[in-house]
Amino acid sequence: MAETEIQATVVVDARGLLCPMPIVKTAKAMKGLALGEVLKVIATDRGAIADVPAWAGSTGNELLAWHEEGADLVFFLRRGEDE
Amino acid sequence: MGAPEKLVIMVTHGPDDPELSTLPFTMAAAALASDVEVVMGFQGEGCLLMKKGVAETVSVADLAPIRDLIGPIAELGGKLLVCWPGLKSRGLGQEDLVAGAEIVAAARLIVEVTSATNTLTY
Repeated sequence: MAETEIQATVVVDARGLLCPMPIVKTAKAMKGLALGEVLKVIATDRGAIADVPAWAGSTGNELLAWHEEGADLVFFLRRGEDE
Repeated sequence: MGAPEKLVIMVTHGPDDPELSTLPFTMAAAALASDVEVVMGFQGEGCLLMKKGVAETVSVADLAPIRDLIGPIAELGGKLLVCWPGLKSRGLGQEDLVAGAEIVAAARLIVEVTSATNTLTY
């Protein structure tokens, strides 16, 4: 899926937060989404590059895409069934 | 998803080592966010981290400080177990501890460790 086609239901702004807070905020926000809805996460802690895919894989959510925008790391995650 | 996972994190450092004090909270919060049950066990100098006001004084570069992690850890169901001998030898009691901290002794910690799927010690 091209990132331009992804519509996020909720956006988490985790810029400036240090490990592990981007994941803590992501997990909290994801619990509020319905199955199939998409969460957009913006972080600046570069640990998120490894953490977000690992977290998604361990919690049954899907990392649809991610990219960098300057210092920002932008992730799109779809809520899965096993969350 | 597989069987539920339970992680026990033993904390033996306090303000004497800010990095080794903070990392167990980092790992606990990450585990809870990943739907892993977490029990933190505080022994020795680690007991001091459960004294009111102490966690606020501990921080290290590039890790979220303990004061920002205790709230989410409690909110996500993490348990904070503090070893009684370590408290007693430091002149501390239940009234000195942060909300949610539970005083235990060795046998209770062993129950937690032997029922865990993984244990980390700091």
